[in-house]
Amino acid sequence: MTNATIRNTHPPAIELKGIRKSFVLSEGRNARTVMALDGIDLAINQHEFVTIIGPSGCGKTTLLRVMASLILPDAGDVLVDGAPVSEPGTKRAMVFQTFGLFPWKTVIDNVTFPLMVRKLPAAKAREIAMEHLVRVGLEKFVDAHPHQLSGGMQQRVGLSRALATGADVLLMDEPFGAIDAQTREFMQEELMRIWQEEQKTVIFITHDLDEAVMLADRVLLMSRGPGRVREIIDVDLPRPRTDYDVRVRKNFTETRSHLWNLLRNDLVEQRAEETT
Amino acid sequence: MKRRPNHEVRRDQLIGVAVFLTVWEVSAQAFDKPLLLPPVSAILAALWELLISGALIKALGESILLLVAGLAVASLIGFICGTLIARSKTAYWMLNPYFSALFVTPTIALVPLVLVWFGFGFTGRVIVVVLAAVVPILFSVASGLRDSPDDLIEVARSFGVKGEIQLLFQVRLRAAMPVLMAGLRLAAGRAVVGMAVAETYLRLGGIGGLIKSYGAVFQTDFVFAAILPLSLLGIAIVTLISRFERRLHWT
Repeated sequence: MTNATIRNTHPPAIELKGIRKSFVLSEGRNARTVMALDGIDLAINQHEFVTIIGPSGCGKTTLLRVMASLILPDAGDVLVDGAPVSEPGTKRAMVFQTFGLFPWKTVIDNVTFPLMVRKLPAAKAREIAMEHLVRVGLEKFVDAHPHQLSGGMQQRVGLSRALATGADVLLMDEPFGAIDAQTREFMQEELMRIWQEEQKTVIFITHDLDEAVMLADRVLLMSRGPGRVREIIDVDLPRPRTDYDVRVRKNFTETRSHLWNLLRNDLVEQRAEETT
Repeated sequence: MKRRPNHEVRRDQLIGVAVFLTVWEVSAQAFDKPLLLPPVSAILAALWELLISGALIKALGESILLLVAGLAVASLIGFICGTLIARSKTAYWMLNPYFSALFVTPTIALVPLVLVWFGFGFTGRVIVVVLAAVVPILFSVASGLRDSPDDLIEVARSFGVKGEIQLLFQVRLRAAMPVLMAGLRLAAGRAVVGMAVAETYLRLGGIGGLIKSYGAVFQTDFVFAAILPLSLLGIAIVTLISRFERRLHWT
């Protein structure tokens, strides 16, 4: 009910209209242009959890960086809450695959960083950061440096930093890809819990099919370059998904195998091209 | 190799110094040519005399001022040119040969030029220190900034840091800090050499001046008594930078 009302009254959290982006790869004299995104139209609703999956080199990361306005598209518009944007803004926050923590800053200083950029008073920034670090159980490590923490803990810092900005949209680039399998499952649960409690919009890149299906309201499958949206699949599984093992549900296995069959073709083609 | 505990290291160092000084004292007494090798006791007496007369303090003050001024100017020039070289290929190819040449040219060979161009006053002396120290700073800035921390730049941009200058100060320089400090430490060692050269070959002054003037009248015990604080000054400044370096290092 609530979701439907929100969808009717609010513009999409993020909307992409006709996004094109190409890169020039210079290899000595023969520079060639590579199409990374070839006309992407996409609307992501408020409070939606969308995962993006696709073969490597399909432009997933480029797509996310365009959504973050870290790179500007050659053509097309990015709209946040219905308004076009052209530079990074406070409504979106990123979580990075390799955590993106400043190694010379302590945990708390990493989390306050975006707030200090916005010129918040130090005490206020610290208070906000502390609140988020406590939530992910890192209150004992606020004065540690990132290299003293495990990968899972470092990404909790990365997540805290994104949440502390108060952004409504989290842009996550394979955030759990560099974390060991068991910790990853805990992180997935934690993320789902936070997403549900705080009503965030999450756009989440992954190369892990299980993860893509388990977390998402919708899975966006991209096709091998030039980057296009191949299919968007609704995941019909009840929430909260933290109380039970989603993976044994029939809907889960069916969605997963449907995705895998689509993805598999691309991978086979890709391999054939690479060997010729 | 197993790391030795601090107190053992200190004990060995103390024993080493004691043996060395005793051998020196005994052989100098037996040799009995204080012009060539003054005994340790005579050197200590000379040092005491320099201390209470205030000559040493005054000389040290002059030398430290020269050293700090020289290092500050060298850092400024090294920072600006190093940033240019790191960020622009044109600047790199245009400027790099000169600095490479300067790096291998003994500072003392440039003293006559400094004398003609800048005179033997404070300016000239500072310039000798700068010539000695600027290249390690410049090279460390250049190499520290060349490995661009692209992922962290992206993080900073995503959280609203705008513009090259902001990124330079908030990310690039801070990421390069360990390399910069290593360069500064190297530069400090060379600056001490430059300082001694400036003080002995331009106009006598500071610790270098003390050494030169006592050497000229063959008061070898006083020469030793002045060399000792010069070495200590060098060690002190390098240790100070190392301390700072360790604090800025994150691993």
